[in-house]
Amino acid sequence: MSFHHLDQFATVPSPVTAMPPVARLVGATSVAVGAATLPLGAWPAAAALGALVAAMTLLARVPVPLLLRRMSGPLAFVLLASAGLLVFVPGDPVLDLGWVAVTRPGVERFGFVLARAVVALSAAVLLVTTTEFPDLLDALRRLRLPRVVTTALSLAYRLLYLLMEELERLLRAARSRNAGAGAASRRRLAAGVAAAVLQRAFARAERTHRAMLARGYQGELATLTEWRWRAWMVAALATLLGLVLVTAVLARG
Amino acid sequence: MTAPLVEIRELGFHYPDGTPALDGVSLAVARGERVAVLGPTGSGKSTLLQHLNGLLRPTAGGVWIEGVTVDAGPGLSDIRRKVGLVFQDPNDQLFLPTLMEDVAFGPLNDGVGPVDAAARATAMLRELGLDGVGARAAHHLSGGERRLAALATVLVSRPVVLALDEPTGDLDARGRMRLVDLLRARGETLLVATHDLTLARALCGRGVVLYGGRVVADRELGALLADRALLERYGLESPSGE
Amino acid sequence: MAHIPDGFLSAPVVAGTAAAAAAVLALAAQRSRQRLEEREAPVLGAATAFVFAAQMLNFPLGAGTSAHLLGGVLVTAVVGPWSGMLVLFAVVLVQALLFQDGGIAAVGANTLNLAVCGGGGGFVLYKLSLGLVGEGRRRRVGAAAVAAFGSTLLVGCAVAAELALSGTVPLMPALVIVGGAHGIVAVGEAALTAAILGALLRARPDLAAAVAVPPRATRRWGYGVLALAVGLAVVATGVASSRPDVLTAALDRLGAVGGEPAGTAGSLPNSRSPIGGPWVAAAVGVLITFALVWGAVRLARPRRSRS
Ligand SMILES: Nc1ncnc2c1ncn2[C@@H]1O[C@H](COP(=O)(O)OP(=O)(O)O)[C@@H](O)[C@H]1O
Ligand SMILES: [Mg+2]
Repeated sequence: MSFHHLDQFATVPSPVTAMPPVARLVGATSVAVGAATLPLGAWPAAAALGALVAAMTLLARVPVPLLLRRMSGPLAFVLLASAGLLVFVPGDPVLDLGWVAVTRPGVERFGFVLARAVVALSAAVLLVTTTEFPDLLDALRRLRLPRVVTTALSLAYRLLYLLMEELERLLRAARSRNAGAGAASRRRLAAGVAAAVLQRAFARAERTHRAMLARGYQGELATLTEWRWRAWMVAALATLLGLVLVTAVLARG
Repeated sequence: MTAPLVEIRELGFHYPDGTPALDGVSLAVARGERVAVLGPTGSGKSTLLQHLNGLLRPTAGGVWIEGVTVDAGPGLSDIRRKVGLVFQDPNDQLFLPTLMEDVAFGPLNDGVGPVDAAARATAMLRELGLDGVGARAAHHLSGGERRLAALATVLVSRPVVLALDEPTGDLDARGRMRLVDLLRARGETLLVATHDLTLARALCGRGVVLYGGRVVADRELGALLADRALLERYGLESPSGE
Repeated sequence: MAHIPDGFLSAPVVAGTAAAAAAVLALAAQRSRQRLEEREAPVLGAATAFVFAAQMLNFPLGAGTSAHLLGGVLVTAVVGPWSGMLVLFAVVLVQALLFQDGGIAAVGANTLNLAVCGGGGGFVLYKLSLGLVGEGRRRRVGAAAVAAFGSTLLVGCAVAAELALSGTVPLMPALVIVGGAHGIVAVGEAALTAAILGALLRARPDLAAAVAVPPRATRRWGYGVLALAVGLAVVATGVASSRPDVLTAALDRLGAVGGEPAGTAGSLPNSRSPIGGPWVAAAVGVLITFALVWGAVRLARPRRSRS
């Protein structure tokens, strides 16, 4: 498993990657929240926010097909989950399926939920495509998330790779002994492997903790990166936030 | 006469679960000495090294660094800066998202500002030939690079004593020679726990054999390695090619 | 739909859940520091990494369905409730930011569901069940299984309530579909939590000490709350079954709605409903809870009369 494919445009120089990570995170979050919370039927507002994401995509020099490909997985899930809206929203039937009927308000809601999801999702995908995980963590620290959370995440990042290696080794070993025929035995196998991984995670954590103490760790993880804010960056972020806000207000007005 | 740099006196230790690990270990290391701590797996080498900077607390006897006793007191952070411990598994020591952060971790904890810490980390990485990989995560490094990186995280704090636990576990012959050259050139006082006698011969002047938690031999290394009966008795293989 | 994507929640629900989640997390951060329940940072890092890793493993439930671990009870049982909620929040956050598993705007709601209801609520259930069954590794594992089952139902109900409050889906179908789907997942969660915790406690009994068994006086509360929960479940089942016509029909088509996101878990054409749909599974779930608790209480009794 790898996160590497996620941030492959983080190193492409562009106005977007020049911004401090915290600006990127705040910007993407504001667009996602703005889009996700649009009142039902606010199509022009959804289109405006979509255009905003498209503009940022161009600025970041991220190829549109890549963005769409990244979105397809989560989008498939959204489609699946929102299909129910077609029939569960009461109203005029437009298509009788025998047992149930697709209703007109159902179709409208289905379409709009999908539109909100697409815009919010594209903002999120754009963020991870242009921001490396360590930078994202740095942004979260600056946003004053509980220190426990950011520290746990910093350590979890490296550990996850080690655990996935162990996981794969364990699964391979189990398979080579022909384990895992039938659902029950596969389940037992998976639970056994998960338990072994958890144990190793804790053992590794103990050793890592000793390594941290040996290097003077006293309970605080200091950060290294410094990002310089320039006037144009502040202006860009302010403009973005302003546009999202105006769109949200107009959509309700 | 000044106190030895490292002094271990009648050190005894058993793990909380009751496993005895060390039993009356005494050892003095002078400044500039390079000592190999030899012994088969389970003889207590790792346990001994972890006493040098107070990660483990003796159940008997004690450890002194430059005459200062290693205990939970206020001197501990100072001792931890003086004694650099390189763990057996580099993965235990490289726990942050990027190599730069890992190397800067020690200086940052010592109160060095972010800019200086970054500069020191960069310089350290360059010295070990790791320039250019600082922004990478440890899982994108080769085994040898990872070993060097773990060393960098410790050297960057400029320790007086360097304690290495099985440093050649995953190195080939060339990687081993590179490590030896590097450590000889730097000149820190060394304690190297290993059962790799080739490494010991290339790097150290003195050998201490640990067996069942006791010191069973402490001699000039050439003499020690020449004593076939001793090596055999304590489960150590003589260096290859002899 | 353990992780709600963006687009399904209304503005008031997004704001409300975010505020509630933030309040609980602030409290958790403070408490975990104060109580030193918080194990050292690396242990929390390990727990976080483990939940990620475990969620990439898919566990077959039979009948073509599979699920992955939510981990609410498992995590809080090992690292304590406050730190556990923070760990679960860290997971929700990164899943939203990195993997788009759950929306960014829905982070508040998902945290409320998975960390607060699943983790914190699950921990309360764990503590209550522990009070019922008493000390011992087997009993601990049994208590965790019961709690994991209940915790997953809690998550399902919370998701359904949020969808209904948002006006996205009417409450009844939301409860039956989402809640019912979680009823199926709950069985897997209980089995997994029991298996993993059991293996862990066998290897590391010291970890069991993380959560103390409550004194006997609080057990009476345990029985009370349990009776209330079972009563509620029975009533809810009764209400649901009074209007099964539209629902069961719809469920045949839409059984997939409760599924977990494909793709992130590298998985599965999943969550086909077994015969009768999630509704039957929910009823079965109530019965299983009942049986489990009854068994646990039976197990606990003789030991206590001797002591
Ligand atoms: N965390 C631990 N808990 C209990 N016993 C341990 C632990 N670590 C090591 N031991 C035991 O202590 C003894 C010495 O181990 P160690 O110092 O690791 O030896 P070496 O490094 O020479 O292989 C062994 O018997 C080992 O099993
Ligand atoms: Mg060792």
